[in-house]
Amino acid sequence: MKNLPGKLLLLSVVAAIAATAQAASEQPTPERDKEVFENRFKERFPDVAREEFANGVYAIDPIGRESWEAIEEFPPYELFIDDGKEMWDAPFANGKTYKDCFADGPGIAHKYPHWDKEQGMVMTLPLALNQCRESQGEKPLKYKKGSINNILSYIAMESRGEVTNVVIPEDDPRALDAYEKGKKFYYTRRGQLNFACAACHVQNPGMKIRSDMLSPALGQTTHFPVYRSKWGTIGTLHRRFTGCNKQVRAKPFKAQGEEYRNLEYFLTYMSNGLTLNGPGARK
Amino acid sequence: MINMSTRLTSIAAAAAIVLGGTLSISTAVAVDAKVLEEGKTLAFKRKDGNCLACHVIEGGEAAGNIGPPLMMMKIRYPDKAVLRAQIWDSSVRNAETAMPLFGKYGILSESDLDKVVEYIHTL
Amino acid sequence: MNMKKMTAMLCLGAIVAIAGQSVFAAEKQAAPKAEAADKAAAKSPESSGDNAAAEAAIAAAESARKKAASVDGEWRDTGKMIKKAQAALKAGDSAKAIKLAKKAEKQGKLGYEQAQAQQTLKMPSYLKY
Ligand code: HEC
Ligand code: HEC
Repeated sequence: MKNLPGKLLLLSVVAAIAATAQAASEQPTPERDKEVFENRFKERFPDVAREEFANGVYAIDPIGRESWEAIEEFPPYELFIDDGKEMWDAPFANGKTYKDCFADGPGIAHKYPHWDKEQGMVMTLPLALNQCRESQGEKPLKYKKGSINNILSYIAMESRGEVTNVVIPEDDPRALDAYEKGKKFYYTRRGQLNFACAACHVQNPGMKIRSDMLSPALGQTTHFPVYRSKWGTIGTLHRRFTGCNKQVRAKPFKAQGEEYRNLEYFLTYMSNGLTLNGPGARK
Repeated sequence: MINMSTRLTSIAAAAAIVLGGTLSISTAVAVDAKVLEEGKTLAFKRKDGNCLACHVIEGGEAAGNIGPPLMMMKIRYPDKAVLRAQIWDSSVRNAETAMPLFGKYGILSESDLDKVVEYIHTL
Repeated sequence: MNMKKMTAMLCLGAIVAIAGQSVFAAEKQAAPKAEAADKAAAKSPESSGDNAAAEAAIAAAESARKKAASVDGEWRDTGKMIKKAQAALKAGDSAKAIKLAKKAEKQGKLGYEQAQAQQTLKMPSYLKY
């Protein structure tokens, strides 16, 4: 009799532990995350075909779309593609070329980002390009502006028509961990203005901030690098991340650092199934 | 000096409440035009309030629409303190707010925020 | 500063709270006062010209900034404010240095709290799981 409360307590503790364990195992899978994510945009833009989201804000902004289509007739990124092709073909000082690192290149954009088991990290295309350069005795390129965008433009152009297909391999739990970190980053409020990425691109896509319409997060990764009229040039995805962090007055992270690579892993996974259509042109 | 008198007034206010009588306050304190003008400038400027980024406000250009148009404020916020609280920390009313916490996160100073409140309350 | 207005606002806030209609209005009235006191301290004549106090304020700001950075919560301008504070101190304006450092310290603390409050990810309700 004396023992009864004690036993009850023990029982409830056991039950509580079991419940927590269950809650932990109920962590949604990436597949489930993606389903819920896509549904958000389907619900909000029922008339927009899924494939259209690869066109970013122009999938949902008919007025912006008109001038965008006009711009696409004489694409501002064309010169960068040409310069990129030269880079791809030109031998390094040691006589080798990018092709020696990327045998199946140049149309390889759809293979990134991917989980690199050996290095235990998310591998992105810009990082892989620089690792190639360094292995051939060349200096790495800068990650936001400059000539890295040329070669990225060429590779993007050559990869058009390929489909986004980010894999989170199950044989290495660190891959799922990287995905979860990227996801956490995406939904975490930051900066003096207290915004998560999701607040603009998932909560409020289609709404206007001043006169800019916010693009849906779905499809945001298909078309980088992007020529932006506001930049007056072309820039990488991580340059864009930097800008979106800064505008909410958060300190941006290092381009190609772990935070942004994990973010890219998550965000690109969300666009799985969408066709690559880079390079892009934006306002 | 200003801080001193603020403290004094708040003590006075507290005292008045403790006394608990039928306190009648004239809410129709005349707000001078200069304060309203400053409040408007602060509300419109990108570096300060930038309320136009998300709210349509009469007289403002290139306004966004993430938040509702700011209008009929006097009717909807008869109590200016409630309006102030909304602008000071909108997450109290809505945990998933898409509005910056202008007071709590020090985007506007307390005195600037007062001016913005005065101006917004006239809308 | 319009005194009458301040009084009216404070009274209103307090009364509303007493009436129990809106608790948060009163809560929010409390915070600004604390900050006003902070500002008063930074501006008070005793502290101007006090290099040691400025150095201490800058050190406090820097450690608050680092603490925020350690949880990925640093804000954009905090580091810049600290640099400006250091420059002001160098130029002999310790009052300005203290003011800037206090502001930076506050940002560091807020950035840290902001990140800590979100340690466990809570998915927004507009995503329908
Ligand atoms: C305050 C709102 C806001 C927040 C928060 C925000 N962005 Fe953006 N973002 C914009 C605006 C405005 C643009 C330009 C118009 C557009 O395409 O949406 C943009 C553009 C982008 C683009 C380019 C889209 C394209 O089609 O080229 C990407 C990618 C992006 N944001 C990612 C992010 C990420 C990741 C975060 C979080 C780190 C984030 N954004 C946070 C407002 C925001
Ligand atoms: C980044 C977008 C954004 C900015 C900038 C912004 N707001 Fe808001 N505001 C919102 C949203 C969204 C709401 C709806 C409620 C919510 O999400 O918390 C709102 C709600 C409000 C409300 C309540 C409206 C009502 O109908 O009850 C007021 C008042 C308000 N904002 C005032 C301001 C003022 C004043 C400023 C400038 C100092 C400002 N807002 C800046 C997004 C914004």
